[in-house]
Amino acid sequence: MFQVPWSDYAPALLDGLERTVAYTVASFAGAVVLGLVLALLRLSGRRILRLPAAAYTEIFKNIPLLAIIFVTYFGLASVGLKLGVFEAGCVSLIVFYAAYLSEIFRAAIAGVHSGQQEAAQALGLGWISTFVQVILPQAFRSALPGTNTMFVDLLKSTSLLVTISAAELMSEGRLITSATFRALEVYLVIAAIYFALCYPLSQGLLWLERQIRAGVPLSPKRRRRLRAARALLAEKGALA
Amino acid sequence: MTDAAQETKKMALTEPSAAVVRIEQLSKSFDGRLVLNDVGLTVHHKEIVAIIGQSGGGKTTLLRCVNLLERPDRATMEVAGEVIFSGDKAVCRDLAKLRQSVGMVFQRFNLFPHLTAVENIMLAQLRAGVSEEEALDRAVRLLRRVGLAHRGVAYPEQLSGGEQQRVAIARALALKPSVLLFDEPTSSLDPESTGEVLRVMRELADDGMTMILVTHELPFARDVADRVVFVDAGRVVEEGTPAEVLGSPREARTKAFLASYAASH
Repeated sequence: MFQVPWSDYAPALLDGLERTVAYTVASFAGAVVLGLVLALLRLSGRRILRLPAAAYTEIFKNIPLLAIIFVTYFGLASVGLKLGVFEAGCVSLIVFYAAYLSEIFRAAIAGVHSGQQEAAQALGLGWISTFVQVILPQAFRSALPGTNTMFVDLLKSTSLLVTISAAELMSEGRLITSATFRALEVYLVIAAIYFALCYPLSQGLLWLERQIRAGVPLSPKRRRRLRAARALLAEKGALA
Repeated sequence: MTDAAQETKKMALTEPSAAVVRIEQLSKSFDGRLVLNDVGLTVHHKEIVAIIGQSGGGKTTLLRCVNLLERPDRATMEVAGEVIFSGDKAVCRDLAKLRQSVGMVFQRFNLFPHLTAVENIMLAQLRAGVSEEEALDRAVRLLRRVGLAHRGVAYPEQLSGGEQQRVAIARALALKPSVLLFDEPTSSLDPESTGEVLRVMRELADDGMTMILVTHELPFARDVADRVVFVDAGRVVEEGTPAEVLGSPREARTKAFLASYAASH
């Protein structure tokens, strides 16, 4: 069944894989930042900030990603704004996924009990400290499952960039197919590579969710702090 | 302020007669509804003042004005020797510092659920510039003081209500406040947990902590408070020693409140 000389195409596939990972990481990072900004705007008390953010979310949630990719790459070029393939690909994924992520983040931030903010204020924490140290870590926990789903979904959606020949995995697959005419074999292998990327990733993210839910400290700083606390508490306990 | 002036201020504050909290002519409304009307309250160093009254009468709002969690419409307020509010403006130069000098314990504990007990107590200290070692050391000492050294690395969800409230008290004490505010600290607790929390509060009282507590625990107010203030419909109706206010109230409204309390307990 396997007749494609895969060892010849291994370098091309590796390049494609690398490109897929690059699109995923860059776009996801951008989408998280934009999604967070949109979520904060939507939670703002001012209509002038809230309404444009809400309009953005609704527009981009209701347009197919492929249409966004075409508008960004071909459409903008026709009015003189020529983006490179990588830039156009990332911008499309960012604006699309930011809309979904903003919904997840908004719900997570709004879900943090108002008493938390009050307690932080009563302790003299400024609004930045309150947000970064109290609200955000709690919102992060509840946003994690939805965000993880979006992350894996974004990775798979990079395959749509085949339409602008983005040199990612799917584009490489198409090139190999046109050279070998073995579409079934090639696309099965490409699908298997996506699976090999996505399955461990989603399992790893599930594991991370479980760790966080179980209260396992993730940062080395917190681990050190809790170790020191345990030692000191035991010591004092022995004295008591 | 010079060092000498600061020292004088500190000494003045530690004199028994010095007012830690002085509130005059405080009015506050929510959406046009007046909830506090020309209220005054003075709390002296080491004094324990219990604010009692019906729910919705303005007790909690009054308490929350002390650290400016609620902003009065009008008031003259002085906390820990500094004027923080005058006329219709907050004149507090450093809000964070004011709040660090006023500890607050909430009805629903409001511990940070993503942090362990010891980290809850350390957080504000670290933000205030206390070193890691000192913050941890102080947190552990405070946990011992509230009898929870064995639960130091537990998360709030792993603690009982009473334990959570004791951690919240330790957290409020971490920045060595001049006054501690309690907003119905036992209202969400079962009788056994209530006993634990009241025991800790009694110890604080014995140690000379200045406290203002909004409470429905009238027997506790009778035992521990130096002064009881009855607030009703946004006004201070009556205040005096527990014996005066709870034992032989002058005002008809106070009598009615105490009668309904006696009937329901």
